[in-house]
Amino acid sequence: MAEGVLSAGVNLEAFSQAIAAIQALRSSVTRVFDCLKDGMRNKETLEGREKGFVAAFQESLHSVSRDLGELERLSNLVGKPSENHPLHNSGLLSLDPVQDKTPLYSQLLQAYKWSNKLQYHAGLASGLLNQQSLKRSANQMGVSAKRRPKAQPTTLVLPPQYVDDVISRIDRMFPEMSIQLSRPNGTSAMLLVTLGKVLKVIVVMRSLFIDRTIVKGYNENVYTEDGKLDIWSKSNYQVFQKVTDHATTALLHYQLPQMPDVVVRSFMTWLRSYIKLFQAPCQRCGKFLQDGLPPTWRDFRTLEAFHDTCRQ
Amino acid sequence: KGATVAQVPVAEGKSLQQTVELLTRRLELLGADKQGPFCVDCETYHTAAATMGAQGQTGKLMYVMHNSEYPLSCFALFENGPCLIADANFDVLMVKLKGFFQNAKANKIESRGTRYQYCDFLVKVGTVTMGPSARGIAVEVEYCPCVVANDCWNVLMEFMQSFMGSHAPGIPSVFGTKHDSIYSPADTMVQYMELFNKIRKQQQVPVAGIR
Repeated sequence: MAEGVLSAGVNLEAFSQAIAAIQALRSSVTRVFDCLKDGMRNKETLEGREKGFVAAFQESLHSVSRDLGELERLSNLVGKPSENHPLHNSGLLSLDPVQDKTPLYSQLLQAYKWSNKLQYHAGLASGLLNQQSLKRSANQMGVSAKRRPKAQPTTLVLPPQYVDDVISRIDRMFPEMSIQLSRPNGTSAMLLVTLGKVLKVIVVMRSLFIDRTIVKGYNENVYTEDGKLDIWSKSNYQVFQKVTDHATTALLHYQLPQMPDVVVRSFMTWLRSYIKLFQAPCQRCGKFLQDGLPPTWRDFRTLEAFHDTCRQ
Repeated sequence: KGATVAQVPVAEGKSLQQTVELLTRRLELLGADKQGPFCVDCETYHTAAATMGAQGQTGKLMYVMHNSEYPLSCFALFENGPCLIADANFDVLMVKLKGFFQNAKANKIESRGTRYQYCDFLVKVGTVTMGPSARGIAVEVEYCPCVVANDCWNVLMEFMQSFMGSHAPGIPSVFGTKHDSIYSPADTMVQYMELFNKIRKQQQVPVAGIR
């Protein structure tokens, strides 16, 4: 939090100068219009009147362009405040004066810290577990890696370009699956995955981690009224509500903190098996329908189709 | 949205109305929710004699249909021909065109009944009537989440068997020609048109079914 206030403080000077520059610009523009409104003042000769008017008009135009130049210079100094903030737009919550009533910002920070810590510990745990592998070669590698890596969990701060690359590689891997990547809210990516003519999936990512996923029908609307991806409302069809539940389970299943790109690829491979959602009978009971639903579960390893109640 | 329209024969020793009740009771036992009435109607138009070519070609029949599922639309179909989807006031236009198309009023046929929902399925069990007489039973089953009819044929089939038993129909011809393109409301109307044509040609059912 101290960091956030500090970075805002650096810009404050530039901000106040910029505001002053805007005021100056406004008053000089007002002067231009005043000059036009007043027209030619009474002078002895007609020529004198014209000369005086043109000179005054020129001068006020000059001052407008000077003030505008100054404002442009200052605006470069100010930059884009929301992008400079480490928490992006959510950092603006700290500006809320009624802290006691809405402790959102502190809660957000807590959650962020907690999530980072969890990610970090999970990484350590996975490293330790790898050392206990039965393979001897893995064991030897473990000895050299015993010194604790003290780097922060780098997977949370991957450059957007890298995420783009991973996603476009997966997009090329499966011809029947098209992935549309967008970043409507800062650096976090959102994917719209269209699988054949079967379903659409909205995937909300944080760096290369999948935070949330919603499955909808091919003919269902995935946008809100203002044209953004609708990440909150669920599908109107029971079958896709069920698949959404299973996809959320899959997010928890595919976890490999050190190789997030493999996680995304495994998840997409699993998701792709839904191309036969309406065509594959259950591998256990051999039927298509159970309680009015087709086999909505896909095994995580074999990708075989099962009814929710038929698995295991 | 894959949908199929099929005729169910009247059960032996039962009246038409009793067969409809049998079907709806089975649906309700399955857990389907009743959702109010529905209606699909079809009017037949002859090409008027004046417009026929000198070669003496026979006039084509045109069918103008309405479906309560799409209350703002009107469907105009030729047999084996194109299907036009228009606004509901297309009917007014047809009145103006009566020099070219003549309404065969006696041929008006419709299916009325109750709409049921079970999970993602829509089921419409209707009595087909032509003029004053009941002619048969039409059952429409639609599986809403799937946009390619062929993909969900097995699902539809299994569901229909669960309440229609051995009377579940074979795959509709519309499905065959669609391959993996997206199913449209017009495809349902074509199926209704074909079913109505089949029923028109059948023998009239005994008067027991009059409503």
